[in-house]
Amino acid sequence: MSTAEQNHRLPWKAAAAPAPKSRVRMKKWRFHLSDRLLGWIIPLGILVVWEILARLAVLPPNWLPAPTVIARTIYEMGATGDLWKHVGVTITRVAVGFLVGATAGTLLGGLTGYFSVARKLFDPLLQSLRSVPSIAWVPLFLLWLGIQESSKIALISLGALFPVYLNLSVAMRHVDPKLLEVGKLYRLSSFEMVRRIIFPAVLPQYIVGLRSGLGLAWMFVVAAELLGASSGIGYLMIDGQMTGRAAIILGSVLLFAICGKTTDWMMNAAGTRLLGHRAR
Amino acid sequence: MSRSDLSIDEVRKNQSTSREPPRKCGALDIVISRKMFAGVEGPLTVLRDISLTVQPGEFVCIVGGSGCGKTTFLRILAGLETEYEGCVRLDEQQIAGPDLNRGVVFQEHRLLPWLTVRDNVAFGLSRASSPERSGKVQHYLDLVGLRSFEREYPDRLSGGMSQRVAIARALAGCPEVLLLDEPFASLDALTRIRMQEELLRIWQAEQTTVVLVTHDIEEAVYLADRIVVMSPQPGTIRNLLPVDLPRPRERTSTEFSGIRRAVLDELLAHTVV
Repeated sequence: MSTAEQNHRLPWKAAAAPAPKSRVRMKKWRFHLSDRLLGWIIPLGILVVWEILARLAVLPPNWLPAPTVIARTIYEMGATGDLWKHVGVTITRVAVGFLVGATAGTLLGGLTGYFSVARKLFDPLLQSLRSVPSIAWVPLFLLWLGIQESSKIALISLGALFPVYLNLSVAMRHVDPKLLEVGKLYRLSSFEMVRRIIFPAVLPQYIVGLRSGLGLAWMFVVAAELLGASSGIGYLMIDGQMTGRAAIILGSVLLFAICGKTTDWMMNAAGTRLLGHRAR
Repeated sequence: MSRSDLSIDEVRKNQSTSREPPRKCGALDIVISRKMFAGVEGPLTVLRDISLTVQPGEFVCIVGGSGCGKTTFLRILAGLETEYEGCVRLDEQQIAGPDLNRGVVFQEHRLLPWLTVRDNVAFGLSRASSPERSGKVQHYLDLVGLRSFEREYPDRLSGGMSQRVAIARALAGCPEVLLLDEPFASLDALTRIRMQEELLRIWQAEQTTVVLVTHDIEEAVYLADRIVVMSPQPGTIRNLLPVDLPRPRERTSTEFSGIRRAVLDELLAHTVV
């Protein structure tokens, strides 16, 4: 019997067999698309209404300028090169502060997680320092380090330190003792134990600590720049406030959001890569 | 002819053509006069007056109820417990700590979740050269029938498969003695029977000495050359029962039931409820 004949005799097989698969795929795809679209409806709607109200001068332009005005302000600043200078300064501060804070957090977390004596020595102090609101440190840092870069870096570092410290220290204390025993069984040295068992075991939570440390670094850079800076995105905000230009303030908020989201995304991508199959 | 129909000698002859040279299997000479633990209400004697000799290539099962110290006993053989009165020797050498000459399989598979099956089996072989290492890994994954899973991660494996990888890992260091602590306790009944058959096949192929701790009497009678019956408070050896049944053993035969009955009677006689 030829296949054509078979197809003829079993028409539903010939025609319908491949169809359900593609239909399911279609449906799935459409579902995903509509999900994403749904998420955009409200923000886009707000933007449109906002734009219309601003154009109709219902909203006072010096308080809440139209989205297009904000976009144009950012664009113009970008064109003169001013914007890149401020964004660059802020990103550098976050990067240096985060690096210093995360390094200190890693050292302290590793030390207290590995040696219980170090934990008993340092943990109570660090825990009580952690509960001090960050802004409370500003006057002291200004007094000690002046209004130059170092006081800002110190504040950002302090913000990044605690989540890294806490996550790493706790994760190290909770490494499954049964897996540690496997290392003991194969007579790993202390260094090998850390490299081959402890480090991979704490990696997921360590990455969580780094991500929230980075998030706090962005929060603290805003605080640092609002409280005395001559450059940076935070300075732009103060400048906008002083000169009564709401468009600059809103534009700066947008810039902070974009920068923070981008670095978090980068950190997340790096973490996913490091974790391999465990990130699934 | 299926594999399990072969006699031990035939299997061993077949295995000699494999890449792995026949290993040296160890003899254990165990004397534990007392092992204490720090309890809530003062020190607690866990093991007392234990004396046992295990022949090279012998398969010994330790049977006892919960709290009879059988796991502690195995941990001493593994070198994970070193504080006790007595002396445990493997081929005249006193056991002072863990070593590759003893492979250990726990009740949980204890595979490292961030390593593939292959890397888990190779975990203890970091001192070996790369070709030697991959040769061994292939050999032992073949032996446990998981060659095709070498690139998978442990979270993709079933309980029985994970435990087979754990056995391959323990064997990869070419131990003289294989120590197993209730290795099949968390598996379902059917998988457990399959794994017992697997373990016998592996033991016959690898010619190591095996000490297996279990609370499952049938498992002990099915596997062991000799059954060590332990009783609790403090843990000590009650009796040594040889199992002189030819392998593969028929679980429903009268002889099998007879030995099972004898072990059970021995256990019940010393159980305080």
